[in-house]
Amino acid sequence: MQAELKWLDDPETFRVNQLPAHSDHHYYATVTDADQGTNQLEQSLDGTWQFAFAPNPQERPQGFYRPDFDRRSFDTIQVPGHIELAGYGQIQYINTAYPWEGSHYRRPAYTLGDRTGKPGMFSEAPDNTVGAYAKHFTLNPGLQGQRVIVQFDGVEEALYLWLNGHFVGYAEDSFTRSEFDLTPYLQPGDNLIAVEVFKRCTASFLEDQDMFRFSGIFRSVRLLAQPKLHVNDLTIRANVQDDLKTGDLNVTAQLAADTFDGAQVHLTLRDARGARLLERTSSADDTVSFTHLTVPTVHLWQHHDPYLYQLTLELLDAQGNVIEVVPYVVGFRRLELKDKVMLLNGQRLILNGVNRHEWDARTGRNVSLADMHRDLSIFKQAHINAVRTCHYSDQDVWYDLCDQAGIYMMAENNLESHGTWQKRGAVEPSYNVPGSLPEWRAVVLDRARSNYQTFKNHPAILFWSLGNESYAGDNIAAMNQFYKDHDDTRLTHYEGVCRNRDYADRISDMESMMYDPPKAIRDYLQHDPQKPFINCEYMHDMGNSLGGMQSYMDLLDEFPMYQGGFIWDYIDQALLVKDEVTGRDVLRYGGDFDDRPADYEFSGDGLLFADRTPKPALQEVSHYYGNYDD
Amino acid sequence: MATTTTKLHVIYGDTTLGLVGEHFHYIFNYDRGGLESLQQYGKEWLYRTPKPAFWRATTDNDRGNHFSAHAAMWLGADLFSPCTDIEVAVNGRVITLPVAPENNRYSDHETADTVSLTFTYTTTTVPATMVEVVYTVDATGQLTIQENYTGQPGLPELPALGFQLIAPTMASGFSYQGLSGETYPDRMAGGIPGTYTVDGLPVTPYLVPQENGMHMQTQQVTVTRQTTLNNADPDQQAFSLTVQQADEPFAFSCLPYTAAELENATHQEELPPARRTVLTIYGAVRGVGGIDSWGADVEPEYHISAETGHSFSFKIAGPDELNH
Repeated sequence: MQAELKWLDDPETFRVNQLPAHSDHHYYATVTDADQGTNQLEQSLDGTWQFAFAPNPQERPQGFYRPDFDRRSFDTIQVPGHIELAGYGQIQYINTAYPWEGSHYRRPAYTLGDRTGKPGMFSEAPDNTVGAYAKHFTLNPGLQGQRVIVQFDGVEEALYLWLNGHFVGYAEDSFTRSEFDLTPYLQPGDNLIAVEVFKRCTASFLEDQDMFRFSGIFRSVRLLAQPKLHVNDLTIRANVQDDLKTGDLNVTAQLAADTFDGAQVHLTLRDARGARLLERTSSADDTVSFTHLTVPTVHLWQHHDPYLYQLTLELLDAQGNVIEVVPYVVGFRRLELKDKVMLLNGQRLILNGVNRHEWDARTGRNVSLADMHRDLSIFKQAHINAVRTCHYSDQDVWYDLCDQAGIYMMAENNLESHGTWQKRGAVEPSYNVPGSLPEWRAVVLDRARSNYQTFKNHPAILFWSLGNESYAGDNIAAMNQFYKDHDDTRLTHYEGVCRNRDYADRISDMESMMYDPPKAIRDYLQHDPQKPFINCEYMHDMGNSLGGMQSYMDLLDEFPMYQGGFIWDYIDQALLVKDEVTGRDVLRYGGDFDDRPADYEFSGDGLLFADRTPKPALQEVSHYYGNYDD
Repeated sequence: MATTTTKLHVIYGDTTLGLVGEHFHYIFNYDRGGLESLQQYGKEWLYRTPKPAFWRATTDNDRGNHFSAHAAMWLGADLFSPCTDIEVAVNGRVITLPVAPENNRYSDHETADTVSLTFTYTTTTVPATMVEVVYTVDATGQLTIQENYTGQPGLPELPALGFQLIAPTMASGFSYQGLSGETYPDRMAGGIPGTYTVDGLPVTPYLVPQENGMHMQTQQVTVTRQTTLNNADPDQQAFSLTVQQADEPFAFSCLPYTAAELENATHQEELPPARRTVLTIYGAVRGVGGIDSWGADVEPEYHISAETGHSFSFKIAGPDELNH
């Protein structure tokens, strides 16, 4: 198969040869590796890559992925990282409007009666910058002779992949892991992996988040070998029976193997201290299920006591040798909607939440583990018990950390098409996507699927959020239906249905608004509300603008169906750069890079400054959230 | 010139009125329209004559709901309102303003128990209104300052109402009894009462410089400096000035910048080098909070009407009041 540039223009082509989304479980070759967290099956490709930047597709170095291509003129770049922060391509911050506003006229394919699909809109665009990445590697011994896949944790926004000159695949969806099978093209010794990253494609219409606009391989890349017996996908359902005491564990694994002959799957469940509670063995097959495993007097998972059990699956060959070990944490909890109130483990849920963009003032949306640990310690200090991953999926490890810290998650899809339906503050959906357009359905369903399949086993996730500010139509309803078809242990959320009430019965289990004044919320709650209410965004903490929080907190006392919300937002987005006058490190925002149009300081709306020091208002948030932190 | 009496030594100058006691020396200037010199232990506390404050730098929320545009004439009033009347009272009795040649009747050893000076400012707003600042000095050097704002129908809401004192050099820090952190009328529930010491004059580094550093519900604040502009004073010992609650707790901010300087900068690094101490005592503070930052107003109870009167008072402690 040959790579085709026109995929950039086609909303129906968003993954080519990409492996299906699956659970984010780690796997190891031995029990010792699993215990120590060292992985001989994994090889990082982070670090220095060869790199060439082109201002548009026409000027890109075509054929650069061929081993015999002369790349001596290439620069180098660090992976992970944003191309713009490495000094190529202009940094731009804009909120609602598309970044090409005022420079290029664009309407999404198949809107406004267009049947052409807008060929060339991105593939021949003068503003579609291109990064050509190349790296040589030799497989580590632990990966040799096995099936090897490559994982990209985040590439913005469209990537084409080659190995040793052979085209491997194509992916969009910047904030979702993309995986490809490299096995057919691997060779002994030196290999050349090449990635071409385009800043814009049809996904640009779906990724109009209020944030700095970047491109590039901004999260980690790694190779992973898959043992001859392998867990492809793992589904854990750790339910609690009506008595709120008895744990009901269900585990389903999708396996891949050369042969299942004589192979076995061995399941062990241990408590948090390592004591063995359950063991089961089953013969291996494509699908292996362990159903209704009972844990009497189960220790429930919740914010103040995020108790985690340890599940281990061992795959054994016919000779009883351990071929693969998959550990996963298990939190038993029960989320339900009862009498229109959301209950966790039988108790009314109160969300003391924040929206959190992944942000680091030096590295942009490439955040470090240290950043995440700092965030969780501030969460704890300020009695923040919930986070909305606005408005995309975060790095995998953040979900693990929220499991461990007892942070309730609203796991949001990578979707925001604000600029296609809201113009100058008014609802104007004349060319909205995804809308109800059939050509835009599969791509958003794929985003829902990826988010679900990847993170479905995290006890921290209580809600699937369909995305942010993308209006409402049949396609959003289809996303909602996808979650309903796959998961009865969580609720769905989508604020945009409030903009288009025709879909009220088909989208979102909760009424969710952003920036509604307390009196409007009271009005809703006093007039026979059909769904519990949350603020998916409130208290917009821009600069020195947080005050009057009491009026929201009063609603918690008055109405059980008012269940809190998520402050917008957790951290200022601004970039630390060297001041051209004084040489000191200073924080810069939209418009400071000659970027136009810009939304200037509008991204400075965090409880923390961009360098992660708390703003003064955090003491107020901590006070009020502390009053409802039980 | 220092006096050992327990009375104020009053110096009826041609353009000024001096009040002297043990360890203090205050000079009110009729032409400058206010207190021109506030010395305790020989250290000058004033860079320019204090005046009423009507503006606090625009917050992002103000920008979004256009409050600053509606209230803009208060920025002009903050910068330019002239002193249009002065009254002097000695021992509670108003006297003819003692400027030349009226002051020729006095001697070089005049004394009093208390002296009050009332400076009336006419705001540059349309319509204009009046604000009085009344200074009352007793023999211990304690200054009681009362500010009376006259309400005027048709005026836009006030961003703040305060009294601003700019000291010649930058303070090394301040300590206060009040609420922790930065607090505003609509954001002080989280403030914990206590005594707090702040090193230097930190400016809260909001992405765009804006109103910051407010401390609500304060009983007392002591500002400490180590340097002066006095060429004859090489001493680097710390010295302090203390403001105390009179009837009610007050709000204050102590920053190296005026509201206008904050207003002018689009980034922290555009603020001028910090060189003065701007201590503002507030009798009324508008809230900062909003539901959003593109239109929502602060809640009604945190507005300040300019159509009704407002008064507040506080004390500047005399030199010996705090065991110097």
